[in-house]
Amino acid sequence: MLRWKYSRPLLGLLLLIMAVGPMLSFGILREPGIQQTLAVAFLYGALALTYDLLFGFTGLLSFGHALFFAAGAYITAILIDSYRWPWYFAIPTAVIVSAVLAVLVGSASLRTKGITFAMVTLAFGEAGHVVISRNFGSLTNGENGLPINAERVPGIFIGVVNTKYLFWLALAVLIFVYAAIWWVTQSPAGRVFSALRDNEVRASVLGLNATRFKLLAFVIAGTLASVIGAAMLLVSGNAAPRYADANTTIALLLMVILGGAGTRWGAAVGGILYSIASTRLQDLNQGKALASLPKIISGPLSEPAFILGLLFIFIVMFAPGGLSGAYYRLRMRYLQRDKSTSGSL
Amino acid sequence: MDTFILITITGIGLGALFFLVASGLSLIYGLMGVLNFAHGTFLVVGAFSGLWISTKVFATANTWTFLGAMVFGGIAGGIFALIVERLVITRLYERHIEQALVTVGVALVAGATLSGWFGNDPRLLPTPHWFINTVTVGKAFVPVDRFLYIGASIVLYIVLASILRFTRIGLIIRAGVENRAMVGALGINVRLAFSAVFFMGGFAAGLGGVLVGAYQNGVTPLMSGSWLIYGFIVVVVGGMGSLGGSALAALLIGVVDQFTNYYMPGLGDFVIVFLLAAVLLTRPQGLLGKVGR
Amino acid sequence: MNAITLQDVNVFLSGSHVLQGVSFEVPSNKVTALLGRNGVGKTTTLRAIMGLIPSTGNIGLFDKSISGMPTYKIAQSGIGYVPEDRDIFSTLTVAENLSLAVRDADPNYDLVYSLFPELSQRGSQRAGTLSGGQQQMVAIARSLLNKNHIILIDEPTKGLAPKLVGEVAEALSKVASETTMLLVEQNLALVKSVAEHIVVMAQGKVIFQGEPSNLEDDAFVHSMLGVSGGLH
Repeated sequence: MLRWKYSRPLLGLLLLIMAVGPMLSFGILREPGIQQTLAVAFLYGALALTYDLLFGFTGLLSFGHALFFAAGAYITAILIDSYRWPWYFAIPTAVIVSAVLAVLVGSASLRTKGITFAMVTLAFGEAGHVVISRNFGSLTNGENGLPINAERVPGIFIGVVNTKYLFWLALAVLIFVYAAIWWVTQSPAGRVFSALRDNEVRASVLGLNATRFKLLAFVIAGTLASVIGAAMLLVSGNAAPRYADANTTIALLLMVILGGAGTRWGAAVGGILYSIASTRLQDLNQGKALASLPKIISGPLSEPAFILGLLFIFIVMFAPGGLSGAYYRLRMRYLQRDKSTSGSL
Repeated sequence: MDTFILITITGIGLGALFFLVASGLSLIYGLMGVLNFAHGTFLVVGAFSGLWISTKVFATANTWTFLGAMVFGGIAGGIFALIVERLVITRLYERHIEQALVTVGVALVAGATLSGWFGNDPRLLPTPHWFINTVTVGKAFVPVDRFLYIGASIVLYIVLASILRFTRIGLIIRAGVENRAMVGALGINVRLAFSAVFFMGGFAAGLGGVLVGAYQNGVTPLMSGSWLIYGFIVVVVGGMGSLGGSALAALLIGVVDQFTNYYMPGLGDFVIVFLLAAVLLTRPQGLLGKVGR
Repeated sequence: MNAITLQDVNVFLSGSHVLQGVSFEVPSNKVTALLGRNGVGKTTTLRAIMGLIPSTGNIGLFDKSISGMPTYKIAQSGIGYVPEDRDIFSTLTVAENLSLAVRDADPNYDLVYSLFPELSQRGSQRAGTLSGGQQQMVAIARSLLNKNHIILIDEPTKGLAPKLVGEVAEALSKVASETTMLLVEQNLALVKSVAEHIVVMAQGKVIFQGEPSNLEDDAFVHSMLGVSGGLH
């Protein structure tokens, strides 16, 4: 077994710390700023997991995944703000509408394969971004984003003192999405997804309708992304056009590659680390650490995309499998050494 | 009628710019199967190089300096493309997904570098004084710069098509688009053709970058994103690997965009995506694309 | 002297072990026929020689190893290849297809046009619009333009009308007298008329290698050819 025997207890302990930390009177987890950063990171971890289902498990290189994330956030916000729906009707409705959108976009895009599929989903995602940033029907408030009406959201999610509830909400969403992706990838359908990724021709020979299974993966990932979008609306307090941006999907891709595709925990860790890193690198930009360097060096270094992009190129070229791949290689080496020493005794 | 003429010519002018971006994307994909996310960066590198030579080397802005900036931007874009191809693309030979991913990384790093050096605020590109003139076509007053875009694209199309048609490297590229493995089995090193295609594509995009800078009244690293996406759409609609297909689709999309934006302001991009969906549903290989690739 | 020597060549394609330690020789200045039922790995063997698919073991051209070399260098070292599906470039003209293949300073167009006079008249026609037989001629012609040490030909008569089979067979026997050839072919009449050396494969392995006359005696090997009727 490649799994380390302490990994589950350790995860349990970590979850316990996360659950209890905000209630304690000491430790960094009681600071609202940290809670907020981690809440956003958890949601990106969850979003990266849904992208892992598409890219890592099913082999679909979609550049339009952000569309469903944005749909979840925006439809919820519009229903609550403009139509004055209560949040407990608005969120399920937004998820259902997003699922239907995923069916439509998926059926059109899946007429193509591989690299063409990537281009086509990119175009659909961009159409969504255009709809949102151009403020069609005066619903989305254009480039400024759509703040959620605080009066129509449960009181526990409003105000700095209540950030810990948002933190728990995000943690719960991450656990829910992890469980859902685990369940899907372990199910018979999930094994078909992997078979399609590895060899579509062979899977089709077995009589499986490849397109239908790919559509299923696309819709599951899209629907879960809309749930995360709705949660992000609560956590960040508004729906922003950049949620639908192609750069958001590219960020998801970076997260999954960083963590290692097709391992679930790799994507989640990649998403959390990426989100924290890009926030921190932004702070570095504002700090004085770079001021002493000449502009030709400090300029690029102050852009988070520079470091993340370099890291990304490095992983793709030299360290396929990302963090989880590196972990499994180390683990394998350790186990083999273990075996060889016990063999010599 | 004069409105119709104006919008048509403006649309063709826009299509000409789309073609400059899309032609390289299409050839690169057609020959090598590489989805090149760094192509927008080629455009920006060309635009900034054109800006640099216009402001730092040429003191004035006239027709000749602008043409010089176009060619210089093209060469800079081409050389940058060649470096990207040699440094990262060839090392991931035949691994198409990784190649696409690594071009995403290149686009991020290069975009961040340019943003870090020059900031994201648009910088004005010096243009000859006649750029603001209009010409009367029928009864319409058409901005004269549109004809420059159209002319530049036609010249570039003729040059690229002639290279493909009449030179040995062009022959190898055309054969390679159809069946790369067999070209190798005839004893030809296809990688030379890869480099040629990257240089040609980078040149077209770099030259296009200078023109886009003039068209949008400013050069900024941020322009890579949207023009790349238009480029992708043109390539998919026109058919992968087909230069003629790219030209046709670029014209179609440019004209449709301008007409839509005139009659339904702001909906142009939206209609383009619908056009894309319609083409995919009826002809997934694109207008002039070959089936089975 | 052997033009090509395969030693323990293994090929894995998407998880299956297609060639399982294939070893045989192609003697120079002879026509060697590679025989066996469909799917035993004949085409894979040729593709492995050309470096079109990765393989382990050693493949030698005369006394030089060509294993692991890129395909274009293998071709440049003097191997002509006529693939199973012909793989001519359908959007290119006949003349372009031929000139693309030229490596030598003095390509032997005379030989090509004397074997296939039709091609000289159809120079400006798009190769995709040619008939199957004419496409096969283009594919064979490409391998004859340069002075190759050996030509690998994969099922040249497959899917051709009987009249064309005769034409192609005639051309091959003319070529056969001047060059070394490794021929994969199901048409036994053609094999009989040109082959001087025979290699038989079954399930990714070589099961017989030798003179065509020796093959006649071996009932088991004969049964592995997957064709009815005798060789003689």
